[in-house]
Amino acid sequence: MEETVHNEEIQLVVFKLNRESYGISILQVQEIKRMLEITRVPHSPDYVKGVINLRGSVLPVLDLKKRLDLPPGEYTDDTRIIIVKMEDVTVGLIVDAVSEVTTISSDSVEPPHTVVSGLSAQYLSGVGKLDDTLLILLNLEAIVGVGADMTKAS
Amino acid sequence: MDVNQYMGMFLEESREHLQTLNRCLLDLEHDPRNLSVLDEIFRSAHTIKGMSATMGFTSIAELTHEMENILDLLRKEQLKANSAIVDTLFKCLDQLEQLVESVAEQTETAIDIKPLVATLNKLASGGGAEEVIPEEPGAAAISVNGIKLDETDTKVIQAAKQQGLCTYNVGVNLREGCLLKSARAYMIMNALDEIGDVIKSIPPVDELEKENFDLSFNVIVITDAEPEKVEQTLLSISEVDAVSVEIINDCGNAVVSPSAAVIPSVEEIIQAEKQTEGQNKPDVSPVVEQHGPAAEKKLKSGQSVRVDIEKLDALLNLVGELVINKTRLEQIGLNHKLSDLVETIEQMDRVTTDLQTVVMKVRMVPVGQVFNRFPRMVRDLSRDLNKEVNLIIQGEETELDRTVIDEIGDPLVHLLRNAIDHGVENPADRQVKGKNPVGEIRLIARHEGNNVIIMVEDDGAGINPEIVKQKALEKGLITPAEAEKMDTADAVRLVFLPGFSTAKTVTDVSGRGVGMDAVKTKIESLGGMVDVETKINEGSKFKIRLPLTLAIIQALLVDVCNEIYAIPLGSIDSTINITPGDIKTIQNQEVILLRGQIIPIVRLAKKLNAPEAASDNKEELFVVIVHMGEQKAGVIVDTLIGQQEIVIKSLGKLLAGIKVLAGATILGNGQVALILDVGSLMQ
Repeated sequence: MEETVHNEEIQLVVFKLNRESYGISILQVQEIKRMLEITRVPHSPDYVKGVINLRGSVLPVLDLKKRLDLPPGEYTDDTRIIIVKMEDVTVGLIVDAVSEVTTISSDSVEPPHTVVSGLSAQYLSGVGKLDDTLLILLNLEAIVGVGADMTKAS
Repeated sequence: MDVNQYMGMFLEESREHLQTLNRCLLDLEHDPRNLSVLDEIFRSAHTIKGMSATMGFTSIAELTHEMENILDLLRKEQLKANSAIVDTLFKCLDQLEQLVESVAEQTETAIDIKPLVATLNKLASGGGAEEVIPEEPGAAAISVNGIKLDETDTKVIQAAKQQGLCTYNVGVNLREGCLLKSARAYMIMNALDEIGDVIKSIPPVDELEKENFDLSFNVIVITDAEPEKVEQTLLSISEVDAVSVEIINDCGNAVVSPSAAVIPSVEEIIQAEKQTEGQNKPDVSPVVEQHGPAAEKKLKSGQSVRVDIEKLDALLNLVGELVINKTRLEQIGLNHKLSDLVETIEQMDRVTTDLQTVVMKVRMVPVGQVFNRFPRMVRDLSRDLNKEVNLIIQGEETELDRTVIDEIGDPLVHLLRNAIDHGVENPADRQVKGKNPVGEIRLIARHEGNNVIIMVEDDGAGINPEIVKQKALEKGLITPAEAEKMDTADAVRLVFLPGFSTAKTVTDVSGRGVGMDAVKTKIESLGGMVDVETKINEGSKFKIRLPLTLAIIQALLVDVCNEIYAIPLGSIDSTINITPGDIKTIQNQEVILLRGQIIPIVRLAKKLNAPEAASDNKEELFVVIVHMGEQKAGVIVDTLIGQQEIVIKSLGKLLAGIKVLAGATILGNGQVALILDVGSLMQ
């Protein structure tokens, strides 16, 4: 991961969940879509919103706020689905808004255990400082549950 | 030269040519005189030689080169394809296969080809003088006669054969010291005339009348009588010492006649059944003779392109996308009332539909690709087990999706091995039972609706349900109470249980108790079913039912609480309408009565935790009757939308564990619909 390498620039996609800003490495982001029609999948974990059709392939979409136990909110015109790809798994993440792509230095990232943010630490990979705001960096592997069977995890 | 980029192609083509060689060699074994097969063998061997030499695999090239030497001699008829030669060639193929596989695995296992090369060389240099041409089978049968048949005669014989008459070459020896040879000859001719038609005699009749012959003469006669009867008739004439009846043409059985002993020009009728037009004229030289049919029967090989299956999948995906976008355009055309656009889209609709069909067809391959390797396997196996087995393959042109084809090989091998090992009895046992000592195994493929049926039938001992039950009890697979209740068909199905095997001894071939269970699991993982029917001493029949493709299925789309689900049509029996009053309750389980059968009810909305379960207070309920194996269930849905061909998409690794779903599909409007797994719905 880029975060672990010192004195390097990390490019991040910054997005909002409620009022907070979050970041994920741009290398994991495949594309960003407006809200699509989502088909509910019965018997799936509650944070799985359903599946979408992305140019012919069927992808699961996760409600990121639900996954992180954040208070839910309505979908708006700003709501986006960020399609992320890890190893051989591609999923969509629903976020409130995508704000920018930014670069921060890996020096300015602090490990997650120093942070008190109400999020379970396993989903975080650190906190970055961007100007005077805090950027919460997410551990996508843990959130998506790569390598773990999601249906059993819930 | 960097050969690595050609490696894949080399391996694939080599395997293909080895397959062809195996098949052709089997044909050659059955019909050693078939030059067209020999030509094909030669071509394949030559291709392998060329390819391997280019790629730098010298042992493969060397071995095929030595094989070519033999093949060339066979082709020139300087050697005859006897069993020693065919066996050696088969061994060469096995070794070639090993060599090719070692190339594939990039292991440098030094396979020693020298012994085989030596054997080949020995054979090529005429190992065994008795193999060398000219030598005709049956030549020794007649002692002193050669018969010249001209074109008219052969035609007459042909015609007679078509009417089911036999042609005999009757040799008559008169007793020494016979005084009235011409009178005896006359009586013999008369007797033969009574039971058939004499078409020729050697020497000719006028010579016979002048007594211009020694003690023996030959007559060609066409008759419907048995050879024995002809013999009897002639022996009843006095002063006839011996009679030999040789079948020239026995309605399909053909024997070559005379020897070169007396008359220098040897004529023969070769395999009358094989003779085609223009081939009626027997040639003087047996070498020239068979070029006619060889040319005619040259096997056609179509032109083809090798394509990676992933590219085809991608193509199919794109076509699917195109269809979805077309549907959107249609909607726009309708919404904005653009008649020009609507017309164009109709045109496009036809093209996309055709395109979809073509792409689907491209993915289909004939099951022959899998069946090809079985004749060789059956031959080897039956030899090992000292059984005689005739493998009959039917319907090898039946097409299946590539994905299915790749998977059914192993289960079929298993079934065939079982049929030979457990099914077909020893020739001696078969004779005791009054059966043909040669066992028969049928491998049949055919379409049945949206499925392909593959059957493996043997005419062997069958499966004894009592023994099966006994075994299952011993192994603790069933309880005595269960055994008691079980009917014959169910008892036989016990063979599919894991850990079951009835073979008394564990052989190399089968009997390790993993077989049938593995077969069943494999077939079911392909969305198919396997069943067995058997009769003691009459044989067993394993029937595999497979979907045409794993990629596209016919499905019924249903609406449940405004969500669309697809139910595979293959597992649907019927759809019915009922009223809520039709539903009864037995032991807390909702059921309906359909044609006297009690069918449990599954409320789909509940089963799928649908957000708004509103279907309870409806006047009329739609029920889809589904089945899985023998089990049935009625699935209550809100609305039936219609039947549609759907492309099955995987739900992906993350959602793979959800039981009630078999996958997803994309509908015409771009929306994702989920495909229900009928089997787990019923549980």
